[in-house]
Amino acid sequence: MSIVEETRRALLVLFPELAAVEEEARAAAQAEAEIQAAEEAAAAEKDENEMDALLAERDAVRLDAESAKQSVAADEDNLEAAEQEDPAAEKKEKEPEEEGPRENGIVLTDHASRGTDIDVFCDPDQVVAAAGIMDEAGFFLEAITGVDWIKEDKLEVIYDYNQYGQEQCRVVVRTFVSRTEPEIPTIMDVMPSADWHERETHDFYGIRFTGHPNLIPILLPEDADFHPLLKDFTP
Amino acid sequence: MSVPVQCRHDETFVLNLGPQHPATHGVLRVKLTMDGEYIVKAEPVLGYIHRMHEKMAEDGNFAQFMPNTARMDYLHALAYNHGYCLAVERAAGIEVPERAEYIRVITVEMNRLTSHLLWWAAFLLDLGGFSPLLYAFDDREQILDLLERITGSRLTYCYFRFGGVYNDIDDEFIAGTYAFIKRLRSRLPRLYHDLVTGNIILIKRLKGIGMLSKEQARRYGCTGPVARGSGINYDVRKNEPYSVYPEFDFDVPVYNECDSMARYMVRMDEIEQSMRIIEQALDKLPDGPVRAKVPKILKPAAGDYWASVETARGNLGHRLVCDGKKNPYKLKLRSPTFSNLSCFGEVAEGMLLADALAFMGSLDLVIPEIDR
Amino acid sequence: MSEYISDVIGGSKSLLVGLSITAREFFKPVVTEQYPWVVPEMTERFRGHIELIRDEKTGKPKCIVCGMCMRSCPSGCISLAGKKPEGEKKKALTKYHLDFTTCSLCGTCIESCNFGAIQFSNEYNLASTRKEDYIFDLLKRLEEQG
Repeated sequence: MSIVEETRRALLVLFPELAAVEEEARAAAQAEAEIQAAEEAAAAEKDENEMDALLAERDAVRLDAESAKQSVAADEDNLEAAEQEDPAAEKKEKEPEEEGPRENGIVLTDHASRGTDIDVFCDPDQVVAAAGIMDEAGFFLEAITGVDWIKEDKLEVIYDYNQYGQEQCRVVVRTFVSRTEPEIPTIMDVMPSADWHERETHDFYGIRFTGHPNLIPILLPEDADFHPLLKDFTP
Repeated sequence: MSVPVQCRHDETFVLNLGPQHPATHGVLRVKLTMDGEYIVKAEPVLGYIHRMHEKMAEDGNFAQFMPNTARMDYLHALAYNHGYCLAVERAAGIEVPERAEYIRVITVEMNRLTSHLLWWAAFLLDLGGFSPLLYAFDDREQILDLLERITGSRLTYCYFRFGGVYNDIDDEFIAGTYAFIKRLRSRLPRLYHDLVTGNIILIKRLKGIGMLSKEQARRYGCTGPVARGSGINYDVRKNEPYSVYPEFDFDVPVYNECDSMARYMVRMDEIEQSMRIIEQALDKLPDGPVRAKVPKILKPAAGDYWASVETARGNLGHRLVCDGKKNPYKLKLRSPTFSNLSCFGEVAEGMLLADALAFMGSLDLVIPEIDR
Repeated sequence: MSEYISDVIGGSKSLLVGLSITAREFFKPVVTEQYPWVVPEMTERFRGHIELIRDEKTGKPKCIVCGMCMRSCPSGCISLAGKKPEGEKKKALTKYHLDFTTCSLCGTCIESCNFGAIQFSNEYNLASTRKEDYIFDLLKRLEEQG
């Protein structure tokens, strides 16, 4: 499994409703693959010369079957969880539709044309959980930044994660906060490098990272009370 | 020999290192809480040369930000040129001619050599050795002359253009570069390594000093030689190949010692690797145009794009957010030293002041790049 | 104790190696230039401040006062003006000022010029203590060059 796929699955924890749908599809696909593999194994059994291959395939089938069983179990668990959370999930899905075109979820992007591999859009209170998942997966924080969408009257907060592996996988976690009361929890407890990045974002956009112990200007003067990267800032 | 000094731990004092201090290589200030000679708490204070380049990017059109890129990391300016060009080219879908890519790689690697040589000189100056500076500047001068021949400038280059480079390289440059590499190859072991790397004072000052563990490096987002000195095999040129780097055969030096000596050795080895890349690029240099036809006013499609390059200090990222207009809606600069320095507070805790300065030097700081 | 002795031996060895290198380099030719007495020659592509190019046929600047360079300059350091002389079709340049204090020698103006009317000069001896010395009147400079 590629690292992109692995990371995507890890991140699915953030979106239980999406995970449930995914699990269902995956279980179905796996069951099919299992049947196919069994058929192939049966066909291969006839050929005595390929004893080695047969053994290997049998192993594969056994593994497949096991993982399918596990995934079915997980699927059931997830479905239950999704059912419990269903009303909330529906709400979550509907809310962003009213605000903007982008829904909460995970999108795979083309690295050659975008420079990123996984694009996650979540609620502001989910960024800490996202950072935790990224930390566990061995990612490091590349940058935190904001974007001022003044026409839509909101601020976007973008977290870029990357990892040191030979295979490329850059993850973008983004969320929207209101422009009048920009507040988002800090991820500093999970990623100490976020300290300076969050202070910088606070400098430039005035986004308050709640829970940050030392949210004082880092690049701007100590007494700065302006946020220069806001689009309505005039020096 | 080394008897720990017994200090009265209730008595600490604050020491301001910088913003005007020769060892901070610029206007970095570190607020140190000291217990005698030992650091209790170190807190870097940034922003003394902050110029808000990101706002300047939003003001002009895409091409007008080009000269700014060289003024952040002035020691490896061409890598910043390259990073910004890559981001805009990715956004606007511009194809770069092959010869231009080769010229980019050659000039960027030569610039990397100057950066490492200058770091070597300044780092040893911090540690108290003066003559290495003169030897390194002698070599650096040769590269600057060669680059000046091509780009017209010596430090703040504005040589790359969207879709290629400003002008072609000539035969004299190629011959000069070959000659220079031959010269540096002979000087590197006999002068640099004999004089400095094997020196007992340097080894005593760097071995086991400034331990930055692999996990710490990851949690602080360190990249470049700092990460590679902590046993992390990460180089954007290999992990996320861009330009024509995949066509060259070069190694990524990785040291597992995690101390200042490891970071020193990574950079010294990188000098050799850069020379290998330049040689291969000059050998393979194809003919053709050096610049694609690009409209004067670019209007990339709306969306956001990321481009990373490996500078002498690590992973430099440009996040470009476009809204279909002729100027960038937002440009985020991810400067490598900003992240690399953020570990300083944690690592310097409990260190001797002199050791902390050696550690700081091994991070290879360029302050205008941190402050942007 | 043995560590102490090995340190002493290692230290003496380092000292000898260093001294031998210094002695070797001492007899190498001098690489520095005695600047005010020896003046370096700038390469062809050296980027000094920009200058106007003369049209060989007419003896006047090639510039047609379109103002492209002024608009393309990232730091707005070019200011120019021109007017139509009596009985001629084209505008003639009457003023071309370069504020060199903000110029970053990027070459955007030269690239934006469709008529090849400006180029980098080879001027580099420009040290001064007064800001006004860096407001160049390029038209006057061209006339003085004669």
